[in-house]
Amino acid sequence: MRTNERVPVLAGTSMFLAVVLSAAVSMGQETRPAKPEEKKEAGMTTTLDNLVTAYNGESNAHARYVEFAKKADEDGYGQVASLFRAAARAEEIHAETHGEVIKKLGGTPKADLRKPEVKSTRENLEAALKGETYERDTMYPDFLRQAKAEKNRDAVRTFNFALSAETEHAKLYKEALDNLDSWKGGKKDFYVCPVCGYTVVKVDFEKCPVCSAPKDKYEKIN
Amino acid sequence: MLGSALLPPPLPPWDGIHPLIVHFPIALLLVSPLFVLLGFLPKVGRGFALAGLVLMVLGTIGAYVAVESGEAGAELVTRTPEVAPVLQQHRELADTVRVLFTVLTAVWAVLLFGPALLKNKKLPAAAPTVAKIAFLVAYLLCAIVLANVGHLGGRLVHQYGVQAWFDGK
Ligand SMILES: [Fe+2]
Ligand SMILES: [Fe+2]
Repeated sequence: MRTNERVPVLAGTSMFLAVVLSAAVSMGQETRPAKPEEKKEAGMTTTLDNLVTAYNGESNAHARYVEFAKKADEDGYGQVASLFRAAARAEEIHAETHGEVIKKLGGTPKADLRKPEVKSTRENLEAALKGETYERDTMYPDFLRQAKAEKNRDAVRTFNFALSAETEHAKLYKEALDNLDSWKGGKKDFYVCPVCGYTVVKVDFEKCPVCSAPKDKYEKIN
Repeated sequence: MLGSALLPPPLPPWDGIHPLIVHFPIALLLVSPLFVLLGFLPKVGRGFALAGLVLMVLGTIGAYVAVESGEAGAELVTRTPEVAPVLQQHRELADTVRVLFTVLTAVWAVLLFGPALLKNKKLPAAAPTVAKIAFLVAYLLCAIVLANVGHLGGRLVHQYGVQAWFDGK
């Protein structure tokens, strides 16, 4: 390299070093997280308790939707049956991801499975919508608040996965309820992310919008 | 007191490192066209042009690390109705930007070294100025896209309070 070439190369290198140093000092620090055992001692619910509750809820939702799908098929609502099967798969994935975090925290994932109450397809859809709406608006936001306060990133991740999927489920149930007659007949394709359970009618993205899994990983369920 | 200040700060985990990483590629990729421009100077020009290439390579590598760490961090972001569309746009545009700057970096390398490598084939010794000007124009357009990715990230943090976090120990 000629001498007159060295000057600008050095200028570029020192620019890079300046950026490195300034970024390194820009990271802030946060206060120490509250310990879950302190909350437990105070009789408060911990993120582990919330995970167990959510695991139970997702496991029961899975079992319920499997039965609702059978009933929808019997009633001639093939597309609704497909939706219930897709949602059942998503709930199964949520139970799995919650269960992994429970194990990581030293707990045991255990569900108290109840016999699903199966009614007419319309009533089943209404019950499903009610359940998803509660999870979307109340349960998961509360659990997330606590998991964030405890700085439990694994719990935040699995609750975020579930919250995003339940939001889509609620939309789809509402859509089916509003136009139930058009959901009669044969099967309908749904796509479920095997990592986060996100459920869509069309895969119009390259990566899962929630967990970044590649789009070809999505499972087709009908 | 100075003793502890001389110790390196704690590193956040991978899913919390995005804010630490992301400013590197933005700064490096936005400053490199200046070196491309200085590359037009007589005599010292080639050195600046080379420095521009070094910054582009580092910035592009930084863009890959920023996108990957951002994907990991995004799993910890709760998708409220307000946050979800902005986050999705930020992610999609960031993906596009890293491809754009990979191509630009490769093109600039070809413009710098291509003619010299092919000199036996009776080509001009340096890339024609018009090609370099066209490159600079294309680069500036891509820099606008990059600025928009940064703007969307800024909105997530400062408008919606989205934060990557770690316990800071
Ligand atoms: Fe659920
Ligand atoms: Fe996903």
